[in-house]
Amino acid sequence: MRLRLHIWRQAGPDAQGMLKTYDLDNVSEHMSFLEMLDVLNEQLMEKGEEPVAFDHDCREGICGTCGMVINGRPHGPLARTTACQLHMRTFKDGDEIYIEPWRATAFPVVRDLVVDRSSFDRIIQKGGFISVNTGNAQDGNAIPISKTDADRAMDAAACIGCGACVAACPNASAMLFTAAKIGHLASLPQGQAERFSRATNMVLQMDAEGFGSCTNHYECEAACPKGISAEWIAAMNRDFAKAAITSRD
Amino acid sequence: MRTFGELWRSTILTKWVMAITGVLIVLFLLGHLSGNLLVFVGEEAMNEYGVWLRSLGHGTLLWVVRLGLVAIFVLHIVSAIRLSAKNRAARPVSYARTESRKSTVASRTMLLSGLLILAYGVYHLAHFTWGLTNPDFYNQTDALGRHDVYHMVIASFREPLIVVTYLLAMVLTGLHLNHAISSAMQTLGVSHPKYVTIIRRLGVGLSIAIAVGFSSVPLGVVAGIVK
Ligand code: SF4
Ligand code: FES
Repeated sequence: MRLRLHIWRQAGPDAQGMLKTYDLDNVSEHMSFLEMLDVLNEQLMEKGEEPVAFDHDCREGICGTCGMVINGRPHGPLARTTACQLHMRTFKDGDEIYIEPWRATAFPVVRDLVVDRSSFDRIIQKGGFISVNTGNAQDGNAIPISKTDADRAMDAAACIGCGACVAACPNASAMLFTAAKIGHLASLPQGQAERFSRATNMVLQMDAEGFGSCTNHYECEAACPKGISAEWIAAMNRDFAKAAITSRD
Repeated sequence: MRTFGELWRSTILTKWVMAITGVLIVLFLLGHLSGNLLVFVGEEAMNEYGVWLRSLGHGTLLWVVRLGLVAIFVLHIVSAIRLSAKNRAARPVSYARTESRKSTVASRTMLLSGLLILAYGVYHLAHFTWGLTNPDFYNQTDALGRHDVYHMVIASFREPLIVVTYLLAMVLTGLHLNHAISSAMQTLGVSHPKYVTIIRRLGVGLSIAIAVGFSSVPLGVVAGIVK
């Protein structure tokens, strides 16, 4: 099939960027979206032009590295699908496709479609872990966890940190990501010791990074490739308020 | 230990302030509406209600409520402006194309509908509370020498322009509440698969009930049911 692509090109963090139009022919419907970009890049390099920079790693929907806004939707039109798992059969001959980077103050553009998501790492560093002393590993069954809790923790832990929630949010808010990380650990017995300091510190870091606040549009959960529910945001709102009122940490 | 002052500035606690004041405003609207509907009972009920309101706690309770309402509205509006400023700063470059999936017209226009309702609210006070815009309608007394609220309302809603403005304000209020009620519940952490759908539906239902309830008064006057 033949496509007309409008891709955001930006040489560097401080450079002025703009949408550039490319026509691409002979795109196979079996290609993944990223393979389609690979083909475009080969052609660009043959012509001596700079290839389009984009992030990718696993290309199987599990690492959270890829991500671009495709026709106004983070990761493209399919629900629960990362950009790397999107295939060209979703599009049809003659389609025009707009490809833009995540847009957020807290995700500055590095180059073309690549953004710097280290703000997410700094949120995790504020408490997205459980502190344990090293030593002999404990017996795996020593702490009983109900199936319901284990499943819930797993649902939240499915977040791959891709940032599509921020990209989709009209306020560029990172509430879904932060809530998933806080909720994952708050669902488990091991997470209880640091539960409230974790909620406080991660949320304050989220604010400090310059993400917006949540106005409950729920665009995040619609865009999330892992189907993280906005219910986690309500749970985080509860934990944060409880920590603000009762925590001594 | 973090001080409350530090946490107060967080987006989540600011949202709690928005949600709690929002819930209080909805309760105020329901109280206000139940008073308004007395117009369908008649002149006696309406004017007596006005006298009763002003006499509460020897006239002090009304002022306590009024000052409380001012504080609630100020907190709600200041928080909204602070959060909106942060939200705008969070996305400096907008997308060339956006496709929304779950947001609604109501959710995307909260700031606008809120500010328009605020503007209308000031006019509404000038009209019905301060008697500034239509002093002729305001300065009426009934046979018993009471402030004639009943005929003030009827005279006002015989003016087409006042009716249209009022109805527009109610459409905006309905739109604002359409998103606001369930949104406040989410912010306050009230969400569970068992009842999240019920809350969202109740929020929409209540927003429509409030808008229709208030609109019924001018419509009743226009239709000649209230005269
Ligand atoms: S919550 Fe979903 S959209 Fe957000 S970072 Fe995690 S996986 Fe990506
Ligand atoms: S490249 Fe790993 S999720 Fe897409």
